[in-house]
Amino acid sequence: MTSLLIGLFLATLIVALFTMRLYRLILWYSLNSLTLALLAITIGINIDDNAMIISGFLTLVLKAFLIPYILKRVSIRFDLSRQIEPNIPVHYSVILVPALLVFTFYLSEPITNMISSNTNDVAISISALFLSLLLMMEHRNIAPKIIGFLTIENSLFLLGTTATNVMPMLIELGIFFDLLMAIVIVNLLFGHDDEEVAE
Amino acid sequence: MIVYGLTIILLIFLSPLVTSFIKMIKMYLLYKKPIPIFQGYRDFSKLLSKEMIISKETSSITRIAPYLVLSPLLLILFFLPPIAGGEYYVSFIDAFTITGLISLSTFFLMILGLDSASSFGGLGSSREAFISALVEPAMILALFSVSMMGNNLGLGQASVNLNNDFPYAHMASYLFAAISFFILLIAENGRIPVDNPETHLELTMVHEAMILDLSGFYLMLIESAGSIKFMIFASIFASLFMPFGLHLPIFLGIIVFVLKIFFIAILVSLLEVNTAKLRLFKVPNLLGIAIVFAFLSLITFYVLGA
Amino acid sequence: MIYLLLLPAFIMLVLSFWNLEKSKFVLPATSLLILYPSIKLFFLPKPYKIWGEYLVADDLSAYIMLVSSIVAISVTLAVSTLGLHVKISNNAYVKFYRFFALFWIGLTLSIVANNMGIYWIGLETATLSTVYMIKTNSTVMARKEAWNYMIVGAIAISLILFGIILIYASAKPILGERAIDFSALLLNAKQIKSPFLFEIGFAITTLGMFIKMGFFPMNLWLANIERASFYPVAALFSGILESAVMIGFFKFSRIASVVNSAHVFIFVFIYTILTIFIVSFLIYRAKDFMRLFSLSGVEHMALIALFWASGGVFAALLHFGAHAFLKPALFLSTGILESRGKYRIAGALRGYSGIKGKAFYFLTGIFLLAIVSAPPSPMFFSELYGFASMVELAKTNKHLLLMISAIILLLILLSIIFYKFIEIYQSMKYEGIEKKKVVYGNEVLALIIFAVSLIALLTPWSFEFLRGIS
Repeated sequence: MTSLLIGLFLATLIVALFTMRLYRLILWYSLNSLTLALLAITIGINIDDNAMIISGFLTLVLKAFLIPYILKRVSIRFDLSRQIEPNIPVHYSVILVPALLVFTFYLSEPITNMISSNTNDVAISISALFLSLLLMMEHRNIAPKIIGFLTIENSLFLLGTTATNVMPMLIELGIFFDLLMAIVIVNLLFGHDDEEVAE
Repeated sequence: MIVYGLTIILLIFLSPLVTSFIKMIKMYLLYKKPIPIFQGYRDFSKLLSKEMIISKETSSITRIAPYLVLSPLLLILFFLPPIAGGEYYVSFIDAFTITGLISLSTFFLMILGLDSASSFGGLGSSREAFISALVEPAMILALFSVSMMGNNLGLGQASVNLNNDFPYAHMASYLFAAISFFILLIAENGRIPVDNPETHLELTMVHEAMILDLSGFYLMLIESAGSIKFMIFASIFASLFMPFGLHLPIFLGIIVFVLKIFFIAILVSLLEVNTAKLRLFKVPNLLGIAIVFAFLSLITFYVLGA
Repeated sequence: MIYLLLLPAFIMLVLSFWNLEKSKFVLPATSLLILYPSIKLFFLPKPYKIWGEYLVADDLSAYIMLVSSIVAISVTLAVSTLGLHVKISNNAYVKFYRFFALFWIGLTLSIVANNMGIYWIGLETATLSTVYMIKTNSTVMARKEAWNYMIVGAIAISLILFGIILIYASAKPILGERAIDFSALLLNAKQIKSPFLFEIGFAITTLGMFIKMGFFPMNLWLANIERASFYPVAALFSGILESAVMIGFFKFSRIASVVNSAHVFIFVFIYTILTIFIVSFLIYRAKDFMRLFSLSGVEHMALIALFWASGGVFAALLHFGAHAFLKPALFLSTGILESRGKYRIAGALRGYSGIKGKAFYFLTGIFLLAIVSAPPSPMFFSELYGFASMVELAKTNKHLLLMISAIILLLILLSIIFYKFIEIYQSMKYEGIEKKKVVYGNEVLALIIFAVSLIALLTPWSFEFLRGIS
């Protein structure tokens, strides 16, 4: 089950890399977070860790529903460009993405050798991290960059759950708080334009 | 042996039914009056009784090619993984053979399109070549990866192994292969995001453009080749990616298999209703995703064993 | 204690939601309160547990906390007359304080954190709030740079978290949940079963921090941001935010050098020398004050990291203190210099009259000379001690020749910077036309606070204190 969910996580991320529309990208981000939340909940139930289950539910509420909803509202309100062409043409990405994956899988081999449990999951989370960095880099528009940042956050959460079983609850909560703050800041950064026009 | 023969005959006879079933569901979802489910058979019988006109400009290729389009596909039917338990099956046919036979059939289809020297034919052929060049690597990779998970390069044996011992440890790479193969199923059969089989709009048509000049019996051959191709993909998908039901008694197993095929048909029709056709130059994006997933499936399996 | 530390910031945060007439004076007054808990913390016996094992103040963090709060109050002093120099709406002003409060909360958390996670959370809060502080300057360029900073900061911060997770994973088998505490890690660093994993984690964390400090491949973004924002924000950036990053580097590298000190040194050594090499030439080409000082800030950061990694704790901390006082002072004073109309280096120091003007003129000149380590400056001593510690280190591992040539290279690079600064100083003083300029009392006061703290840094007592930190 874990393996399937991690696979889905990476799959949604890869599809997001090839997406050309903003709303579609937000949808993929939301699905990405959904799989992450389900993953956290299942792992939490497996190892009987309440903190993990709670952070799973928080992920479900915040990242899978609230943040995509806010992002969509923001993009409607500030009339963001909905067509997001990546800087890297798709036929290059087709080569680049597998190359990156092979590279990260081999790169993370010495790391995963030392982590006793869920070695594959750790490798996949590290490659997910690199893919989200690619997502952030390959777009010129600001909205996909933000989504890239959010997916980086997701892959770090995944890494936290797989590599260390779970980060301490306090830290997870803090990370959620910072994520929300990032969203507020994003909103404000867009928002200021309005004010100036009004002035 | 008898069951083996019977299942192949069943597949052949089922294929027009599945094609018209997809059409029916689509029309139903679009609030149109649905066509009867046996429309496929009626079309074929109508085409059989029609006169056959062949353009003066064509060479002998046009006379041969329709048979050559159909025959590799018929051959594949014999090599498919078993559809019911205890049945006779060919175990040693691997991903390369199946992909090669499908490409052979596509090759003759393209030749056929070029032969009549009409502008549409050439257009369709070049598009078909463009798409199938991208489909092939993905297909080989995906099938190869899944047969590795079944511990045997032969697809038939792999399918049986998957039935006996589902690869829970390799769920991630299994999932990637499934995604990739589903995209291929759509792309190679000319379904909506890639090609729309129902229109004759010159901007978009791929498959239809190649067979514009055909009529009567030859058209029937090509049409049946199309539906058999869908059947092949659907049954590979059903037996490799929904590996259950081989332990049931034979007739129950066959019924389960047919249900799986219809389930895939429903899936495809839902997808067709809900998506718009892609621009031709966006098609590589879709197929690119398929290639990435197929490759990813293979390397996740090999490098990570996940 | 934790309430005392965070209370002024919370008061500011709450007050900033009322857009009062007087908020322009209430907010800076509140911000002066942040000095008191820092001083109190400084004199408490160490290590002092502020909040269980999560927040623990030792000498190092108390020192950095004190330095940061002095910088913060001086900057807020200078901010109160920002509106007389540049066009800024009252709304933007209040918003600046709102995010300054958030910034201070994040900063306090990250400075006194004994927990890698809390350190990260604080750093992220501080980073995100500075993003908006850049935006208070409502120009197109500032907006663009705010976005840029958001992206760069996000990447750097994510790298830091990535490294922290790896470090935590490497130490969890032996320490359990406590693997996230700096102190526990420091005590048990030798027992870590997979040092490679730890070092990878450390390298990635350090990479994130180095990106955030504007090191080698990412030299220019910091300069662009400080150029685009208002000068107090730039001063906060170089004076405080970078100290929060720096203390993280101190704490992480302290643990990493227990695991394998040679690796840490080589990594930091190559990275910093490359950085200084690039930066010195960039400084040579710099054409305005803000870029000049932010690049020079990068250079100082690199030197601090290098001194720290080569074991010169005293030198690194002295350099750190000097940098933290000098850089904001220069940002403030040059910000005031260039705030009317277009900035112009030539003749920037001319045209000040009256006691305030003269004092301002004098202090700015002194600071400019102090930043390039002219002898009485703390920078001079710290560089001396730093190079001495590098030589000491080389003696133990028999790479003396290499180290000496590296020091000579560094000196050559520093002399390029020296040359450029002297040229700028002369151009400010002797060239250009004389124009009448104004300076306000609070600004001079802020500069005087900086000058006094610099002198305090040079007293034997503070030398003694800095030597006591290990």
